[in-house]
Amino acid sequence: MSDELIPKVKQMIIDALRIDGMEADEIDSDAPLFGEGLGLDSIDALQLVVAMEKDFGVVVPDAATGTKVFASVRAMAGYIAENQK
Amino acid sequence: MTGWLFPGQPLRCEQFTDHNHDLEQLHQLCCEVTGYDLLKGQSCSDGTLSNHTALQIHGVVSSLYRSRCLKKVGDVPDLLAEHSLGIYAALAVAGCMSEQAALELVARIGNSMSRLAGSREYALGCPIGLLVDPVEAAARNNGVYVANYNTSRHFLLAGEKQNIEAALAECQAAGAFSVSSFACEAPLHTPLMAEISSELAAIVAEYRFTEPQVPLIESVAQTTLSAAAIPAFLVDELQQPVWWERTWKAVRTAGVTRCIEVGSGQTLTKFNRWIDSEADRV
Repeated sequence: MSDELIPKVKQMIIDALRIDGMEADEIDSDAPLFGEGLGLDSIDALQLVVAMEKDFGVVVPDAATGTKVFASVRAMAGYIAENQK
Repeated sequence: MTGWLFPGQPLRCEQFTDHNHDLEQLHQLCCEVTGYDLLKGQSCSDGTLSNHTALQIHGVVSSLYRSRCLKKVGDVPDLLAEHSLGIYAALAVAGCMSEQAALELVARIGNSMSRLAGSREYALGCPIGLLVDPVEAAARNNGVYVANYNTSRHFLLAGEKQNIEAALAECQAAGAFSVSSFACEAPLHTPLMAEISSELAAIVAEYRFTEPQVPLIESVAQTTLSAAAIPAFLVDELQQPVWWERTWKAVRTAGVTRCIEVGSGQTLTKFNRWIDSEADRV
Protein backbone atom coordinates (compact mmCIF):
# COMPACT_ATOMS: atom_id res chain seq x y z
CA MET A 1 0.00 0.00 0.00
CA SER A 2 2.63 2.55 1.04
CA ASP A 3 4.89 1.69 -1.93
CA GLU A 4 2.11 2.87 -4.24
CA LEU A 5 2.38 6.28 -2.61
CA ILE A 6 6.09 6.65 -3.29
CA PRO A 7 5.83 8.32 -6.75
CA LYS A 8 3.20 10.74 -5.39
CA VAL A 9 5.38 11.59 -2.38
CA LYS A 10 8.36 12.26 -4.63
CA GLN A 11 6.30 14.56 -6.81
CA MET A 12 4.97 16.33 -3.72
CA ILE A 13 8.55 16.96 -2.54
CA ILE A 14 9.54 18.38 -5.93
CA ASP A 15 6.46 20.60 -6.08
CA ALA A 16 6.54 21.78 -2.46
CA LEU A 17 10.25 22.55 -2.47
CA ARG A 18 10.16 23.87 -6.04
CA ILE A 19 13.15 21.78 -7.05
CA ASP A 20 13.81 22.79 -10.62
CA GLY A 21 15.16 20.28 -13.09
CA MET A 22 14.59 17.16 -11.01
CA GLU A 23 12.32 14.27 -11.96
CA ALA A 24 10.55 12.15 -9.36
CA ASP A 25 12.44 9.01 -10.32
CA GLU A 26 15.75 10.73 -9.63
CA ILE A 27 14.98 10.73 -5.90
CA ASP A 28 16.21 7.62 -4.10
CA SER A 29 13.29 6.18 -2.11
CA ASP A 30 15.57 5.12 0.74
CA ALA A 31 18.09 7.97 0.87
CA PRO A 32 17.97 10.37 3.83
CA LEU A 33 16.17 13.59 2.94
CA PHE A 34 17.99 15.73 5.49
CA GLY A 35 21.70 16.34 5.81
CA GLU A 36 23.04 14.10 3.09
CA GLY A 37 20.73 12.94 0.29
CA LEU A 38 18.55 15.87 -0.79
CA GLY A 39 20.22 18.06 1.87
CA LEU A 40 17.00 19.45 3.30
CA ASP A 41 16.82 21.57 6.45
CA SER A 42 14.28 22.71 9.04
CA ILE A 43 12.81 25.33 6.67
CA ASP A 44 12.17 22.60 4.11
CA ALA A 45 10.69 20.39 6.83
CA LEU A 46 7.92 22.85 7.60
CA GLN A 47 7.21 23.25 3.89
CA LEU A 48 6.84 19.46 3.63
CA VAL A 49 4.59 19.36 6.70
CA VAL A 50 2.22 21.82 5.05
CA ALA A 51 2.33 19.94 1.75
CA MET A 52 1.61 16.58 3.41
CA GLU A 53 -1.40 18.02 5.17
CA LYS A 54 -2.66 19.65 1.98
CA ASP A 55 -2.05 16.74 -0.39
CA PHE A 56 -2.68 13.76 1.90
CA GLY A 57 -4.54 15.15 4.92
CA VAL A 58 -1.82 13.87 7.24
CA VAL A 59 -0.41 15.91 10.12
CA VAL A 60 3.20 15.80 11.31
CA PRO A 61 2.83 17.43 14.73
CA ASP A 62 6.41 18.17 15.71
CA ALA A 63 10.06 17.88 14.77
CA ALA A 64 10.54 14.68 16.76
CA THR A 65 7.88 12.97 14.63
CA GLY A 66 9.28 14.73 11.58
CA THR A 67 12.72 13.23 12.18
CA LYS A 68 11.21 9.76 11.74
CA VAL A 69 8.76 10.66 8.99
CA PHE A 70 11.29 12.53 6.88
CA ALA A 71 13.98 9.87 7.23
CA SER A 72 13.32 8.91 3.60
CA VAL A 73 10.63 8.97 0.93
CA ARG A 74 9.70 5.40 1.90
CA ALA A 75 9.28 6.47 5.54
CA MET A 76 7.06 9.37 4.44
CA ALA A 77 4.92 7.05 2.32
CA GLY A 78 4.62 4.64 5.24
CA TYR A 79 3.56 7.39 7.62
CA ILE A 80 0.95 8.65 5.15
CA ALA A 81 -0.43 5.15 4.63
CA GLU A 82 -0.73 4.63 8.38
CA ASN A 83 -2.29 7.98 9.17
CA GLN A 84 -4.43 8.81 6.15
CA LYS A 85 -8.13 8.78 7.01
CA MET B 1 14.32 42.51 -13.70
CA THR B 2 17.00 40.78 -11.66
CA GLY B 3 17.47 41.10 -7.91
CA TRP B 4 20.50 40.03 -5.96
CA LEU B 5 19.75 39.05 -2.35
CA PHE B 6 22.52 39.15 0.25
CA PRO B 7 21.97 36.71 3.13
CA GLY B 8 22.84 37.15 6.79
CA GLN B 9 25.42 35.34 8.86
CA PRO B 10 25.88 31.68 7.92
CA LEU B 11 25.78 29.01 10.63
CA ARG B 12 29.08 27.53 9.54
CA CYS B 13 32.05 28.29 7.30
CA GLU B 14 31.58 26.43 4.05
CA GLN B 15 34.90 25.46 2.52
CA PHE B 16 35.65 26.99 -0.86
CA THR B 17 36.38 24.31 -3.43
CA ASP B 18 37.19 26.67 -6.33
CA HIS B 19 40.73 27.59 -7.27
CA ASN B 20 40.90 30.80 -9.27
CA HIS B 21 42.29 34.32 -9.32
CA ASP B 22 39.24 35.95 -7.72
CA LEU B 23 39.26 33.61 -4.76
CA GLU B 24 43.01 33.99 -4.31
CA GLN B 25 42.65 37.77 -4.47
CA LEU B 26 39.85 37.79 -1.88
CA HIS B 27 41.86 35.40 0.29
CA GLN B 28 44.84 37.78 0.24
CA LEU B 29 42.62 40.78 0.89
CA CYS B 30 40.89 39.01 3.74
CA CYS B 31 44.17 38.05 5.40
CA GLU B 32 45.65 41.53 5.06
CA VAL B 33 42.60 43.50 6.11
CA THR B 34 40.86 41.29 8.66
CA GLY B 35 43.39 38.70 9.81
CA TYR B 36 41.08 35.90 8.65
CA ASP B 37 42.41 33.03 6.55
CA LEU B 38 39.59 32.36 4.15
CA LEU B 39 40.92 29.11 2.79
CA LYS B 40 41.73 27.55 6.16
CA GLY B 41 38.57 28.96 7.74
CA GLN B 42 40.41 30.33 10.77
CA SER B 43 42.34 33.34 12.03
CA CYS B 44 45.71 34.04 10.46
CA SER B 45 48.82 33.61 12.58
CA ASP B 46 48.02 36.20 15.26
CA GLY B 47 44.70 34.46 16.04
CA THR B 48 42.90 37.48 17.48
CA LEU B 49 39.53 36.91 15.80
CA SER B 50 36.71 35.23 17.67
CA ASN B 51 34.94 32.35 15.94
CA HIS B 52 31.84 34.49 15.48
CA THR B 53 33.73 37.38 13.91
CA ALA B 54 35.48 34.88 11.63
CA LEU B 55 32.08 33.51 10.63
CA GLN B 56 30.82 37.01 9.88
CA ILE B 57 33.84 37.75 7.71
CA HIS B 58 33.42 34.40 5.97
CA GLY B 59 29.79 35.26 5.22
CA VAL B 60 30.68 38.61 3.70
CA VAL B 61 33.52 37.26 1.62
CA SER B 62 31.31 34.40 0.36
CA SER B 63 28.92 37.03 -0.96
CA LEU B 64 31.71 39.08 -2.49
CA TYR B 65 33.14 36.02 -4.24
CA ARG B 66 29.74 34.94 -5.54
CA SER B 67 29.15 38.48 -6.82
CA ARG B 68 32.41 38.41 -8.71
CA CYS B 69 31.50 35.04 -10.25
CA LEU B 70 28.10 36.34 -11.34
CA LYS B 71 29.59 39.47 -12.88
CA LYS B 72 32.12 37.33 -14.74
CA VAL B 73 29.31 35.50 -16.54
CA GLY B 74 27.57 38.78 -17.36
CA ASP B 75 24.91 38.77 -14.70
CA VAL B 76 23.96 42.29 -13.68
CA PRO B 77 21.59 43.18 -10.84
CA ASP B 78 18.85 45.76 -11.26
CA LEU B 79 18.18 45.83 -7.55
CA LEU B 80 19.88 44.65 -4.36
CA ALA B 81 18.36 43.62 -1.03
CA GLU B 82 20.07 42.61 2.19
CA HIS B 83 19.39 40.57 5.30
CA SER B 84 21.37 41.57 8.41
CA LEU B 85 25.08 40.92 7.81
CA GLY B 86 24.35 40.91 4.08
CA ILE B 87 24.46 44.71 4.17
CA TYR B 88 28.26 44.84 4.04
CA ALA B 89 28.65 42.84 0.83
CA ALA B 90 25.61 44.60 -0.63
CA LEU B 91 27.23 47.99 0.01
CA ALA B 92 30.39 46.86 -1.77
CA VAL B 93 28.47 45.45 -4.73
CA ALA B 94 26.37 48.63 -4.92
CA GLY B 95 29.61 50.60 -5.20
CA CYS B 96 29.08 52.48 -1.92
CA MET B 97 32.42 51.28 -0.59
CA SER B 98 35.29 49.06 -1.71
CA GLU B 99 35.46 45.34 -0.97
CA GLN B 100 38.47 46.08 1.21
CA ALA B 101 36.58 48.67 3.24
CA ALA B 102 33.57 46.37 3.61
CA LEU B 103 35.76 43.54 4.91
CA GLU B 104 37.62 45.82 7.28
CA LEU B 105 34.39 47.32 8.57
CA VAL B 106 32.73 43.96 9.24
CA ALA B 107 35.84 42.77 11.08
CA ARG B 108 36.02 45.90 13.24
CA ILE B 109 32.31 45.77 14.06
CA GLY B 110 32.59 42.04 14.75
CA ASN B 111 35.51 42.62 17.12
CA SER B 112 33.58 45.34 18.89
CA MET B 113 30.51 43.12 19.28
CA SER B 114 32.58 40.19 20.51
CA ARG B 115 33.53 42.19 23.58
CA LEU B 116 29.90 42.03 24.69
CA ALA B 117 30.38 38.31 25.20
CA GLY B 118 32.69 39.05 28.13
CA SER B 119 29.88 40.39 30.28
CA ARG B 120 27.00 37.99 29.49
CA GLU B 121 26.25 34.78 27.65
CA TYR B 122 24.03 35.40 24.65
CA ALA B 123 22.22 33.10 22.25
CA LEU B 124 19.95 33.10 19.24
CA GLY B 125 16.79 31.01 19.24
CA CYS B 126 15.00 29.71 16.21
CA PRO B 127 11.34 28.70 16.66
CA ILE B 128 9.73 27.33 13.50
CA GLY B 129 6.05 26.80 12.85
CA LEU B 130 4.34 29.23 15.23
CA LEU B 131 2.59 32.40 14.14
CA VAL B 132 3.91 35.75 15.31
CA ASP B 133 1.68 36.30 18.38
CA PRO B 134 2.84 33.31 20.45
CA VAL B 135 6.45 33.95 19.44
CA GLU B 136 6.25 37.58 20.54
CA ALA B 137 4.53 36.51 23.76
CA ALA B 138 7.28 33.98 24.50
CA ALA B 139 9.89 36.65 23.85
CA ARG B 140 8.14 39.17 26.10
CA ASN B 141 7.56 36.66 28.88
CA ASN B 142 11.21 35.71 29.01
CA GLY B 143 12.98 39.02 28.45
CA VAL B 144 14.28 38.35 24.95
CA TYR B 145 13.55 39.92 21.58
CA VAL B 146 12.35 38.88 18.16
CA ALA B 147 15.44 39.70 16.11
CA ASN B 148 14.25 38.43 12.71
CA TYR B 149 10.73 38.29 11.29
CA ASN B 150 11.65 36.11 8.36
CA THR B 151 8.27 34.69 7.30
CA SER B 152 4.90 34.15 8.95
CA ARG B 153 6.34 31.03 10.64
CA HIS B 154 10.12 31.54 10.79
CA PHE B 155 11.56 33.80 13.46
CA LEU B 156 14.84 34.39 15.24
CA LEU B 157 15.02 35.36 18.90
CA ALA B 158 18.02 37.05 20.52
CA GLY B 159 18.94 37.65 24.13
CA GLU B 160 20.65 36.12 27.12
CA LYS B 161 21.19 32.40 26.74
CA GLN B 162 19.12 31.17 29.69
CA ASN B 163 16.24 33.43 28.67
CA ILE B 164 16.42 32.19 25.08
CA GLU B 165 16.19 28.61 26.32
CA ALA B 166 13.14 29.53 28.41
CA ALA B 167 11.49 31.33 25.50
CA LEU B 168 12.11 28.36 23.21
CA ALA B 169 10.61 25.99 25.80
CA GLU B 170 7.52 28.22 25.83
CA CYS B 171 7.40 28.17 22.02
CA GLN B 172 7.69 24.39 22.06
CA ALA B 173 4.84 24.13 24.58
CA ALA B 174 2.76 26.46 22.38
CA GLY B 175 3.11 24.01 19.47
CA ALA B 176 6.22 25.09 17.56
CA PHE B 177 7.19 22.49 14.99
CA SER B 178 10.85 22.79 15.95
CA VAL B 179 13.12 24.95 18.10
CA SER B 180 16.88 25.30 18.09
CA SER B 181 19.42 27.64 19.62
CA PHE B 182 22.89 28.86 18.78
CA ALA B 183 25.52 30.58 20.88
CA CYS B 184 26.36 34.13 19.83
CA GLU B 185 28.53 36.90 21.16
CA ALA B 186 26.07 39.76 20.91
CA PRO B 187 22.28 40.13 21.06
CA LEU B 188 22.04 41.11 17.39
CA HIS B 189 19.07 43.16 16.20
CA THR B 190 17.86 44.00 19.70
CA PRO B 191 17.83 47.16 21.84
CA LEU B 192 20.54 45.51 23.97
CA MET B 193 23.01 46.50 21.26
CA ALA B 194 22.63 50.14 22.38
CA GLU B 195 25.34 49.37 24.93
CA ILE B 196 27.96 49.64 22.18
CA SER B 197 26.18 51.92 19.73
CA SER B 198 28.52 54.87 20.39
CA GLU B 199 31.53 52.67 19.80
CA LEU B 200 30.01 51.32 16.58
CA ALA B 201 29.06 54.82 15.41
CA ALA B 202 32.66 55.96 15.93
CA ILE B 203 33.94 53.06 13.80
CA VAL B 204 31.41 53.67 11.03
CA ALA B 205 32.23 57.40 11.03
CA GLU B 206 35.72 56.60 9.79
CA TYR B 207 34.35 55.36 6.45
CA ARG B 208 33.07 57.26 3.45
CA PHE B 209 30.10 55.99 1.48
CA THR B 210 29.14 56.97 -2.03
CA GLU B 211 25.70 56.75 -3.62
CA PRO B 212 24.61 53.21 -4.56
CA GLN B 213 24.97 52.55 -8.28
CA VAL B 214 22.21 49.96 -7.96
CA PRO B 215 19.15 50.54 -5.73
CA LEU B 216 19.63 48.78 -2.38
CA ILE B 217 16.60 47.92 -0.25
CA GLU B 218 17.39 47.50 3.45
CA SER B 219 15.62 44.98 5.66
CA VAL B 220 14.59 47.13 8.62
CA ALA B 221 12.17 49.63 7.08
CA GLN B 222 12.44 48.60 3.40
CA THR B 223 13.75 51.97 2.28
CA THR B 224 16.15 52.40 -0.59
CA LEU B 225 19.40 53.46 1.04
CA SER B 226 21.15 56.69 0.12
CA ALA B 227 24.81 57.39 0.87
CA ALA B 228 23.83 59.86 3.59
CA ALA B 229 21.61 57.30 5.33
CA ILE B 230 24.16 54.47 5.39
CA PRO B 231 26.24 55.38 8.50
CA ALA B 232 23.21 55.72 10.78
CA PHE B 233 21.63 52.63 9.27
CA LEU B 234 24.68 50.46 9.99
CA VAL B 235 24.50 51.34 13.69
CA ASP B 236 20.72 51.39 13.99
CA GLU B 237 20.04 48.11 12.17
CA LEU B 238 21.87 46.19 14.89
CA GLN B 239 19.28 47.45 17.38
CA GLN B 240 16.27 46.79 15.13
CA PRO B 241 14.66 43.55 13.97
CA VAL B 242 15.08 42.32 10.42
CA TRP B 243 11.78 42.16 8.52
CA TRP B 244 12.56 39.78 5.70
CA GLU B 245 9.01 39.03 4.53
CA ARG B 246 8.36 42.76 4.09
CA THR B 247 11.69 43.12 2.31
CA TRP B 248 10.96 40.28 -0.09
CA LYS B 249 7.55 41.77 -0.84
CA ALA B 250 9.19 45.16 -1.46
CA VAL B 251 11.60 43.48 -3.86
CA ARG B 252 8.68 41.87 -5.68
CA THR B 253 6.75 45.13 -5.74
CA ALA B 254 9.76 46.87 -7.27
CA GLY B 255 9.34 44.55 -10.25
CA VAL B 256 11.95 41.88 -9.63
CA THR B 257 11.05 38.64 -11.39
CA ARG B 258 14.38 36.82 -11.20
CA CYS B 259 16.33 36.51 -7.98
CA ILE B 260 19.75 35.22 -7.07
CA GLU B 261 20.88 34.58 -3.51
CA VAL B 262 24.39 35.94 -3.42
CA GLY B 263 26.21 34.15 -0.64
CA SER B 264 26.49 31.02 1.39
CA GLY B 265 23.47 28.68 1.45
CA GLN B 266 19.89 29.08 0.26
CA THR B 267 18.13 30.39 3.36
CA LEU B 268 16.62 33.49 1.78
CA THR B 269 15.49 31.50 -1.24
CA LYS B 270 13.69 29.09 1.09
CA PHE B 271 12.09 31.92 3.04
CA ASN B 272 10.94 33.43 -0.27
CA ARG B 273 9.53 30.10 -1.35
CA TRP B 274 7.51 29.96 1.86
CA ILE B 275 6.25 33.54 1.45
CA ASP B 276 5.34 32.97 -2.19
CA SER B 277 3.60 29.67 -1.43
CA GLU B 278 1.46 31.42 1.18
CA ALA B 279 0.53 34.06 -1.36
CA ASP B 280 -0.35 31.28 -3.82
CA ARG B 281 -2.57 29.61 -1.22
CA VAL B 282 -4.43 32.87 -0.66
